[in-house]
Amino acid sequence: MELDPNVVHVAIRWLHVAAMAVAFGGSVLVLAVSMRRTAESATVVQVAATYEWAFWAAVGVLAMTGIGNLGAFGISLPAPGTDWGGTFELKLMVVLALVLISVPRTLALGMLATTTSAERSVRTMRRLYGGTSGAFALILALAVTLAHG
Amino acid sequence: MSNDRALAAWALATFHATFFVLVFVLLLYSRGGFGATLASLNTLVGLGLFVALWGTTLVTTRRALRGVDPTGGSVDGRRLSRQAIRWGAANGLAFLLLIAIPLIIGSIAATPPGGNPLAVVGIATIAAPFALSVASVIGALSGLTLSALDLVLIGLARRIAL
Repeated sequence: MELDPNVVHVAIRWLHVAAMAVAFGGSVLVLAVSMRRTAESATVVQVAATYEWAFWAAVGVLAMTGIGNLGAFGISLPAPGTDWGGTFELKLMVVLALVLISVPRTLALGMLATTTSAERSVRTMRRLYGGTSGAFALILALAVTLAHG
Repeated sequence: MSNDRALAAWALATFHATFFVLVFVLLLYSRGGFGATLASLNTLVGLGLFVALWGTTLVTTRRALRGVDPTGGSVDGRRLSRQAIRWGAANGLAFLLLIAIPLIIGSIAATPPGGNPLAVVGIATIAAPFALSVASVIGALSGLTLSALDLVLIGLARRIAL
């Protein structure tokens, strides 16, 4: 049985948006938890650690479905010299940078829980997840520009 | 494996697979003609290939991190690099086999009536030593490069936390 290519592409797009919602929404949630005055450091670390598992799953799904989305363009994919191409290359570079800086963020989490004071630990997490949320907001803005011009 | 180390392995494995693919896509797209390449590929096959690479990278990254704790006090860089070369090569081989086996089976099944289905096996046998060598060398070099990057990122994590 042959699958309708349009159904496949819509499913891939939905998966891409869902993964983005998990990754972006999750980082905003961790940031919000870390901003609460009453939040204990251990609670913030626990929420962040749960998020990190979901974040990396979402990153894999975003990369996989992102290429699937490109496949939907086929030969009509705009060339690198065009405005669309320039925005797309910029988006890919921001995504690469976010993936790169997310590794130390994830690894630092385990160390923060055991080596620093609770107050400093929460302050550091605010900065880490504030930066992650900012990077995701930029990627989303670039994605909206690519989709709607 | 502790929860922190399991999370570190999951993060590093996904980082390796996605970083490898995204750099590849960025380079191919920048050269132009990427749309024609994509148009010639089946979307579901492409998704399957990524899942296969992600899976083999997860298994081999876990093995490469044996005896190395990226969230601990210090990391033996030489040990990590040695294990990354070995398991990077294994990843290259595993990924090649995951692509080649369905291809060979599919080609045998698609042999037209009157044709010799075992001819595919003969061609695969001749090509195998070359393909396996190339896959293991690419895997080993990728493993070495990514382990160097990992060491920099582990150092950065320590500077953030301490």
